[in-house]
Amino acid sequence: MADSAMEQLPLPTSLAEVESLIRALYQPNPPETITKIQEVLQRLQRSPEGWQLAQSLISHREDNIRFYAALTLIVKINRDSAGLSEEDTSSLLQNIISWTIQSLADGAAPFVTKKLCTALVTFFIHFSHLWPHCVRHFLYCLDLGRGTPVEGLDDALTTEILVSKLDRKKLSAAVWFITSLVEEVGKTDMSAPKFIQVHERLIKTGPDVTCLLARAFNPPEDNPAIKTQGEALACFQAWILYAQRASPNVELVTPLRQLVGPAMNCLADPDLFQPAAELFSDVLSNYSSFFTEEHYNTLASLFESPWAAEHYQRLLHGNHHEDGISFGLLMLAYGDAKVQDLMHGTDARSQGFLEKLTGLLAADGYLVADDTVFVPALEFWSTFIETMVDNIYSDEEDTESWKPLAERHLKAVILNSWRKIQWPPAEVFAEWDSTERTAFNDARKDVSDMLQSVFTLEGSSLVSFFADLFLRVLPTQNWAELEAAAFCLGALADCISEDARNDHVLSNVFSSPFFQLLGQAHGPIPLRLRQTGLALIEKYCEYFERNAQYLPDALNLLFGALGDPVLGGPCARSISTLCSSCRSILTGEAGAFINHYKTIRGSQVLDSLAEERIVQSIASIVQAIKEEGHRLDMFEELYNFLKKDFELAIQLQAQPNILNLSHPDFLRGLETPHPPAVPSAEEIALHIALRSLRCLASMAKGMQDVKEHPIDLDSEPAPHDPNSRLSRLQADIMRVLAGVQSAFGASGEAVEIICNIFRAGFSETEPGPFVFHPDVVTDYFVQQRYETPRIGTLLSTVCSYVGSLYRGPKALVPPQLTRLLPWVISIIQGMPDPDSDTEIAVNGINFVEKVISKYPEILFNAQPSQLIEFFFLFTLKVLDGTEPLPKNAAAEFWANFISLKPSNPALEQAIASAMTHLGPLVARSLMRNIGGHAARSELDRLCEPLKKLVVLRPEAQAWLEQALLEGQACWPGCERVALEDGRAFLRKVIALRGARTTNQVVREFWLACRGSNFAYAS
Amino acid sequence: MSLCQNRLQEERKQWRRDHPFGFYARPVKNANGVLDLKVWECGIPGKEKTPWEGGLFKLTMTFPDEYPTKPPKCKFTPPLFHPNVYPSGTVCLSILNEEEAWKPAITIKQILLGIQDLLNDPNPDSPAQAEAYNMYKKDRVQYERKIRQIVRENPAP
Repeated sequence: MADSAMEQLPLPTSLAEVESLIRALYQPNPPETITKIQEVLQRLQRSPEGWQLAQSLISHREDNIRFYAALTLIVKINRDSAGLSEEDTSSLLQNIISWTIQSLADGAAPFVTKKLCTALVTFFIHFSHLWPHCVRHFLYCLDLGRGTPVEGLDDALTTEILVSKLDRKKLSAAVWFITSLVEEVGKTDMSAPKFIQVHERLIKTGPDVTCLLARAFNPPEDNPAIKTQGEALACFQAWILYAQRASPNVELVTPLRQLVGPAMNCLADPDLFQPAAELFSDVLSNYSSFFTEEHYNTLASLFESPWAAEHYQRLLHGNHHEDGISFGLLMLAYGDAKVQDLMHGTDARSQGFLEKLTGLLAADGYLVADDTVFVPALEFWSTFIETMVDNIYSDEEDTESWKPLAERHLKAVILNSWRKIQWPPAEVFAEWDSTERTAFNDARKDVSDMLQSVFTLEGSSLVSFFADLFLRVLPTQNWAELEAAAFCLGALADCISEDARNDHVLSNVFSSPFFQLLGQAHGPIPLRLRQTGLALIEKYCEYFERNAQYLPDALNLLFGALGDPVLGGPCARSISTLCSSCRSILTGEAGAFINHYKTIRGSQVLDSLAEERIVQSIASIVQAIKEEGHRLDMFEELYNFLKKDFELAIQLQAQPNILNLSHPDFLRGLETPHPPAVPSAEEIALHIALRSLRCLASMAKGMQDVKEHPIDLDSEPAPHDPNSRLSRLQADIMRVLAGVQSAFGASGEAVEIICNIFRAGFSETEPGPFVFHPDVVTDYFVQQRYETPRIGTLLSTVCSYVGSLYRGPKALVPPQLTRLLPWVISIIQGMPDPDSDTEIAVNGINFVEKVISKYPEILFNAQPSQLIEFFFLFTLKVLDGTEPLPKNAAAEFWANFISLKPSNPALEQAIASAMTHLGPLVARSLMRNIGGHAARSELDRLCEPLKKLVVLRPEAQAWLEQALLEGQACWPGCERVALEDGRAFLRKVIALRGARTTNQVVREFWLACRGSNFAYAS
Repeated sequence: MSLCQNRLQEERKQWRRDHPFGFYARPVKNANGVLDLKVWECGIPGKEKTPWEGGLFKLTMTFPDEYPTKPPKCKFTPPLFHPNVYPSGTVCLSILNEEEAWKPAITIKQILLGIQDLLNDPNPDSPAQAEAYNMYKKDRVQYERKIRQIVRENPAP
């Protein structure tokens, strides 16, 4: 700051210096120079000499200097006019008016006159009481050719006569003035006391404004070079916008409405058509009640005129980029405003208009790139359809009279849309930029939405329509048409897929020769149509569930296309949807699908996500096989592929020289098919392992049962036979997982996927390859160490595990918890400080909380006993820390701990003795947080243990008070809040006995501690 | 019609008229096929030139009766791996919090763009899930790998 102050330019000492500074300001100069000039000029403007400066320069021959003088006037009125006497203020007004008129006479540039008009408006905003009839007075002065006192207005002629005497130049200036007037006043807050009267006076100028604008729409013949109509349109639009904000205000709206006719006449003038059409579109869309019924009738007949017909034809067959689509948007805005009337209107005019609007969906050219009116037209039709749905479902009226007519239009809408969404030839598409391509796809989505709305009205007949269309087009081999028909049929899938009534129609489609053609990789069907065709199978998944005879063919078709780089991904998705929901029908195909998988694996490397889906699909079929022996046979067949991958990965890691990148088994280890540099053998080994681990996790997901089975919590656990086939298989899976983890355990991803494999088994109630015996799962966890990557994720998996134990036979639970608890706490002990790993802290605390919620005695019996002590103190440190998530968990833990209801005397004794030690510490932590340490968002959570303490522990008051007395050592807010106020706060909290209001009281106290102005006097 | 319904009608109109590329947002349909304006299905694409590019993330926006006085609730379905997304999928963002930066003038478009910004610019001061927050803080390389994996699982069409 000091430097720049030193570099400030000195204030100019003469007018000539000021002039040259202003000139320099408007010349190309480095930004620093401009900033400096601006700074010195601003200082000058703000000095008492500013008025003088403006006056001296306002008649300068150079426009820029004059403009700057006008600007200075605005600055002075805004900053320094409050001190002016009434006399000075009046003459200021007269002067500015005179200067404005003079600027017209001596040929100043329009931007100078406009700036002076703005200065007048600024004057009005500050002194509207001195210039209430500003428009009429300004017109009067324009007529006189100079500024005169406001009082002179009493002798003036009527506004009509004053306006009629203005030449075009003065007329223009008057329009500039009223435009700026409404825009600038409009920027001020209508409800602020300072401006209420300014707005009231502005509204009262309505009749004068209307009179002036009427003239501007129909100017004298003196100077045709000056087009006042264009300016009148812009001004009119600004006033309507203002009237809308100020509405309802008849005083303003009524006179303004008189201008609709003259404005409408501008539509016929080719030069004025664009702005006029925009004005009408804008007002129809945003303020349709501005127009009267008469206006609407005039517009309607205008749309029937030959002039409109010509515009309409140009819109359908012309060039949207060159000619614009203003006329189309005008029609649509009219349609939108009158949609109810048009829909109900059975008259020829309404029907004719709607027909034209359907035509807007059939303009020449491809969507978006050439035809820009389709999307807005579709938007109108979507509104129209929604309006129909609303009317029909509100069953308030007789729909018979208009519904058939409306439906006729919908037919045209549907057909036109179907034509429009057809893909262009590849060479045309290739020329589109990414924006045009996205917009094309977006428009297709809009059409699909629209069709779903039509379905609400038309139901199955719409499905038949597209099915018939599809079958009719098929023999013609017009692939673009066929694709669009399939797309539209697919759009309806969500509406009907669960409804068997359309199945016969769909069967005609799915049994058509099309699906045989689709299977041919090098057949005649182009890529896009193949995509849409395959997607159709996925969308009608429920149909195939009901009509199993078509399912194997459909799936074989999808498997056949898996290897295609574009279609592979979507096909894998379709396969997994179909297999998962139709698993019980497909059990006979398990072997065939495994063979498909084998063949593909042997010849190429699938996208890894696609492969995961395939494996999951097959596993879900395997899961549905009823006979256990057969089920396990199939499972092992699939599992063995992955097992071999793991063996290969481990082998490759040990012997990098066996790498052979011409073999698909090794290529699986490339993260991307064509990496810029070949990764090391170790990396490839890791990725083979990760990829197959993900596949194994997918198998585990696939093997999840979709049916719910009842569980009896008190039942004896099923006997565990370690020699059964299933147990042996499980042991093998565990061995493989342990082997992979020991080889690739440095990878956090590997650990995360192993966790997912376990999780998949946790939700299961029936035996299965991934439903391991609890001893096995616990064994796995307790072997992990603090150093294991993603150990926090492992802890969160343990929490899920406890949840699953709680859903099973009770007898199994305590032994597992007894083993897990010391292990979890030992992991927590590994952290250098409580805030160092949020995931460990949160999941560790959650685990112990889960334990105490059902088996609190396990916590108190844990060995060695220092473990629990460590854990309690750890949670208190977390409460005192700054990490929000562990803090929340600790608060929740303590809320639950305090409310424990012991089931036996020994436990009661243990809890009571723990609370004697810990109660004061918990109270201290809570006091510290509430007294200013916590973040605002943590308060509600922290209130929970506080409320429990107050309700359940008689000693709570003493504990909290003790913490309060510690002062600064405990709660940071004691600097701001007097001890007495702290006591008052505690009394309130205690008196509230845990009621919900506690949160509010705590919040207020916290605010006071944080330094808001708040006293606890009451 | 209630203020809430009116405003939602207007939001729908505005969205149809102008929405950012790659996003979608539409009210769900009830059993009769009639729109339920108070529940919207949305899709947010990952921003270009960030690890989120190429992904499209589904989100449900639920509007309370008091909307627009109160903000809508935004929930990723399925829940998203992100420091500011709760395990339930609910987004934690100041403009969606009545007590923080929510203002009735905020549009659906602004909300969705705000959430898109949040994807690659998480706010470590208000963590909502331990997993993503911890990885974001401790191992940025692993975090970005994980994001790319999520993008592959949720590809934009």
